[in-house]
Amino acid sequence: MTGGGVQYSKIAEIKGPLVIVDDVDNAAFDELVEVETNDGEHRLGKVLEVGNGKAIVQVFEGTTGLSVSGTNAKFVGKVMEMPVSKEVLGRVFDGLGRPKDGLPDPIADKFIDINGEPMNPEQREYPKDFIQTGVSVIDGMITLVRGQKLPIFSGSGMSHNLLAAQIARQATVIGTQDEFAVVFAAIGVQYSEAEYFKRSLEESGALKRSVLFLNLADDPAIERIITPRVALTVAEYLAFELGMHVLVILTDMTNYAEALREISAAREEVPGRKGYPGYLYTDLSTIYERAGKLNGKKGSVTQVPILSMPSDDITHPIPDLTGYITEGQIVLGRDLFRQGIYPPVNILMSLSRLMKDGIGKDRTREDHGEISNQNYDAYSRAQEVRALAGIVGKAGLTDIDLQYMSVGDIFEKEFLSQTTDENRTLDETLSVLWKVVSQLPKNELTKIKDKYVEQYYQE
Amino acid sequence: MAAQGRIVWISGPAVRADGMSDAKMYETVVVGDSKLVGEVIRLTGDVAFIQVYESTSGLKPGEPVIGTGNPLSVLLGPGIIGQLYDGIQRPLKELSKASGSYIGRGITTTPVDMTKKYHFVPTASAGDEVMPGNVIGTVQETDLIEHSIMIPPDHPGGKITNIVSEGDYDLETEIATSEKDGNTIPIKMYHKWPVRKPRPYNTRYDPTIPLLTGQRVIDTFFPIAKGGTGSIPGAFGTGKTVTLHQIAKWADSQVVVYIGCGERGNEMTEVLIEFPHLKDPRSGKPLMDRTVLVANTSNMPVAAREASIYTGVTIAEYYRDMGKDVVLVADSTSRWAEALREMSGRLEEMPAEEGYPSYLASRLAEFYERAGRVRAMGSPDRDGSVTLVGAVSPSGGDFTEPVTTHTMRFIKTFWALDAKLAYSRHYPSINWMNSYSGYLGDIAKWWGENISDDWLNLRSEAYGVLQREDTLKEIVRLLGPEALPDEEKLILEVARMAKIGLLQQNSFDDVDTYCSPEKQYRLLKLLVQFYHRGQQALKEGATLPDIRAMSIIGSLLKARMDIKDDELAKLDELDNTMQEQFKSITGVKVTN
Amino acid sequence: MGSNSQLEQAIDKILAKTTDRILSGLDDSCSESMRTIDDSLSILEQEYDKLITDGKKEADKIKKQIIGSSDLGARNEQLISLEQAVDDVFEKALEKITNTARSGNYENLIKTMIEESTNILGTTEVIISTNSKDRDAVQSQLSQFSGAELSADVIDCIGGVVAKSKDGTMKFDNTIDARIERLKPLIRKEIASMFGVGN
Repeated sequence: MTGGGVQYSKIAEIKGPLVIVDDVDNAAFDELVEVETNDGEHRLGKVLEVGNGKAIVQVFEGTTGLSVSGTNAKFVGKVMEMPVSKEVLGRVFDGLGRPKDGLPDPIADKFIDINGEPMNPEQREYPKDFIQTGVSVIDGMITLVRGQKLPIFSGSGMSHNLLAAQIARQATVIGTQDEFAVVFAAIGVQYSEAEYFKRSLEESGALKRSVLFLNLADDPAIERIITPRVALTVAEYLAFELGMHVLVILTDMTNYAEALREISAAREEVPGRKGYPGYLYTDLSTIYERAGKLNGKKGSVTQVPILSMPSDDITHPIPDLTGYITEGQIVLGRDLFRQGIYPPVNILMSLSRLMKDGIGKDRTREDHGEISNQNYDAYSRAQEVRALAGIVGKAGLTDIDLQYMSVGDIFEKEFLSQTTDENRTLDETLSVLWKVVSQLPKNELTKIKDKYVEQYYQE
Repeated sequence: MAAQGRIVWISGPAVRADGMSDAKMYETVVVGDSKLVGEVIRLTGDVAFIQVYESTSGLKPGEPVIGTGNPLSVLLGPGIIGQLYDGIQRPLKELSKASGSYIGRGITTTPVDMTKKYHFVPTASAGDEVMPGNVIGTVQETDLIEHSIMIPPDHPGGKITNIVSEGDYDLETEIATSEKDGNTIPIKMYHKWPVRKPRPYNTRYDPTIPLLTGQRVIDTFFPIAKGGTGSIPGAFGTGKTVTLHQIAKWADSQVVVYIGCGERGNEMTEVLIEFPHLKDPRSGKPLMDRTVLVANTSNMPVAAREASIYTGVTIAEYYRDMGKDVVLVADSTSRWAEALREMSGRLEEMPAEEGYPSYLASRLAEFYERAGRVRAMGSPDRDGSVTLVGAVSPSGGDFTEPVTTHTMRFIKTFWALDAKLAYSRHYPSINWMNSYSGYLGDIAKWWGENISDDWLNLRSEAYGVLQREDTLKEIVRLLGPEALPDEEKLILEVARMAKIGLLQQNSFDDVDTYCSPEKQYRLLKLLVQFYHRGQQALKEGATLPDIRAMSIIGSLLKARMDIKDDELAKLDELDNTMQEQFKSITGVKVTN
Repeated sequence: MGSNSQLEQAIDKILAKTTDRILSGLDDSCSESMRTIDDSLSILEQEYDKLITDGKKEADKIKKQIIGSSDLGARNEQLISLEQAVDDVFEKALEKITNTARSGNYENLIKTMIEESTNILGTTEVIISTNSKDRDAVQSQLSQFSGAELSADVIDCIGGVVAKSKDGTMKFDNTIDARIERLKPLIRKEIASMFGVGN
């Protein structure tokens, strides 16, 4: 795409986040646009549709204050790019990737198209390096591996930020000295949440290995379309050009999807479910699928997106479509949260699809898979027994039922619960898992090979 | 003459070009200066509406559009097996040579290596009359696949005037020529076929042979026949992909076509890494030697996702025409439907339910209609089949949404995945009350002839127990289990055993991952016998706690993992132990 | 090393605090009855251990924070001074361009700039604006572009032209300022690499 730079001033229409420019004969699909307002302010946008002398431009910073006369649109001649270099580490940017820390623009090593390109599946390296987060429930039962995309499904007010920050602080791959980095993208979250995260990184000394992109609640909503993309562009650069292991935290993807819905509505598109555009799945995938590892490249991009489920509803289109793309999910439970349990992870609804390849002999411990399965089984049974006890009373329960009740209690109190600065080793985690199922007689442990039962069962 | 137009409008994957009055519907066109591949999907006056199979970022109005004169086609010939293709049959490995780790644009490659030599053994000779579909020779494509070189279905027939002798030839070599009415036609080892046009066959049979997948809940409870259609809908996290991978791994077909349509990139990588190391249980050869992968992952251009299904099914039909049984797994038809919806929206067509186009149902019907067991065209006689298994990803796990409901009209086996089962780690999480198979009666004969006459009865009896349990569960939920008499508690116990010992299957366990039909039958029989003997024992004065305390239960539950397919005699020992234990709790001899 | 003494101060502070709390704990326990002194001692021991670990944890946190932020601070200082240097070079360069003689080659440059502008706008029916220094040069080239006119208004720029379609809907800024602006990120990188940074 070359030969851009022409400024057009015939604005046909302004609606919602869109500006429709007439008499345009030199614009490309996806091209970056600089919109100049009456009073000389510059805003960025991109071409959503072009043809027959018209260009539909989506303005990231909103159209408030724009007028049909006096507004100019300059088609820049390239797609939106993010300047990247190693010096982006330790920096804070706004939601469009411009410095927000008072420091100059980074001296770019490269300018990279923020949309990224789809990874060739043939060139992907299958993720299987165990990341130890020090959070028992994740390490033990929803294991995270390098290059995975594992979202946290939360609800308003729950402790997802504490958990994400704890993962960011504590995540390590045992036995390696590879460089790692954290890329944090705040998408329409409150100042206090972003600040908590920043402070948390600062206190762990990780800020100098972090890059922050902040689109806060009072920043332009349409900018949120860009924020995860600039963040991931930087993450890919750090991972695949500089060989770092990058943990990307995107919070809150619900705000992202809402911005997308706003644009779709302004374009008068036929909506899919709940007014979200029919292409929400495809669009989300262009973000989530940017996680991964590549053959012949040292680094990795691991994503932990956070999304708050409207009304805690997991069938809402945003968590639903996310779950179809990501490799599992960590679901926070309102009940556990109300009981004051941290992290309030509902393990029965949670899952890590890549766990099976990241654990076991030579990776974590040979009994890891089986003890984890047995705990799922036992906790699930404990929930059934609890429900039953609600009907027939404790007196109506058999001995074995009562033992399962105690499994449920110990699981929640000793395994699930930990403090935000408690960094458990894998052995500690597995030991508590064994303690939980050791509430049961040995013959109930149908998912574990006898030799492991002999070795680890706690009499 | 090829159309030559100019782009007038661009919106995502949709492009309009004028000056296209020479273009034909579904013609492949080359779009823009960067030579992107597209397909004409509507013509209005001289304006063509084109769906572009590559990213249109940076494309400008005024750039050229050039017609190729051909509809979107696949190349059919040796070299397809073992490949990983994108939605329009470009080998992803070749793409990576041109554009590295990411998928570049405007790259042209051939679907197979045209210079690779195959050892051709002619089976026809000069002077033979040939018809479309006739086999004129064979090549060994992989260790597992003997590839028949066939006269293309659109060939006019005639007399072979010349055919090469046995030897090594590449794909561009003219291995034969035919002549009819003075026209000479060269024949190569490959031909092309338009993807949207089903390949013709001679006659169609009823599907009566089961497709054995080694998965008990499928083969024993909800079987699918060779040439049949099945659908597997499920919310995320219900283990859809694992189940589909299991079918692709263990189905007793000669060829597997796996289409990753709008799904995760890592899932295709997983297949690519795993399949070359997994051995086909029947031949002992790597599974990759019979597998073709078509991948258009969720973040790849949406229009090619629409095409990927057709690319895959055309390849499947080609191997069917050689007389092979082919399984095609499409994960997920919902993403394909969404691609239709997106293009339809850009065409500004009138939407039907949830924004899907009104022709969604007819497109689904057309797709599933391409399944079938057939007698191929031409000689020698060859019977082959295409079995279609489509995943559905209903939004919110809601089976009343349009893609699921329409799909149910066109398929005969329905494996309903259940999030509740998945949450309690019951895998495969196929809900036995909501699933069904329309092939049970058709394939019972096969089981009778090959395994045992009482298969269908045993299956009905076991399923009856599960149905009874489902109603009894309601009572338990209200009153607690102690409210039931021992006879009914026994049903709960047997149902529990059926769930753990039969329905559940651990795909990550070396033994349990595949279960032979013989072993499936024997496990089923043991369970039904346990039920009968339990009923008898209760009549003779034993109590349910006596039964529950029998150590044989644990062994029966673990038999699926502990006893390998080649040591089924151990199941007889279990049967003996069971008899003895029942005897000991009643004190009298228990009969079968 | 500034950060070390800062660190020592912080650790001293924590330890002092810790000691105070241990002493007060001791006082409390003494005031308890003699009969429970054994119990108290064991509780005290636990308390003591906890205080020490907490103190260590806190000190560790502060240590990480101080080291981390001092590293970062130093790096940021460097970024700012580099930017300063780049700006200086830039300014010098602009000054040099501003003062270039408007002769021979320069007229050719102006011609090229008008050519580029009309090409990109797709018409020669344009109004050209320029600064007072370049007016003559522009005027002398204008005859080669049919329909092109020189605007009466003078614009403020280093040099070059702004072309506007006569209907006013299109504008192309081809001043030297705009061209430099477009290239600035690349130029900055080059200057920075001359300082040995950014590669």
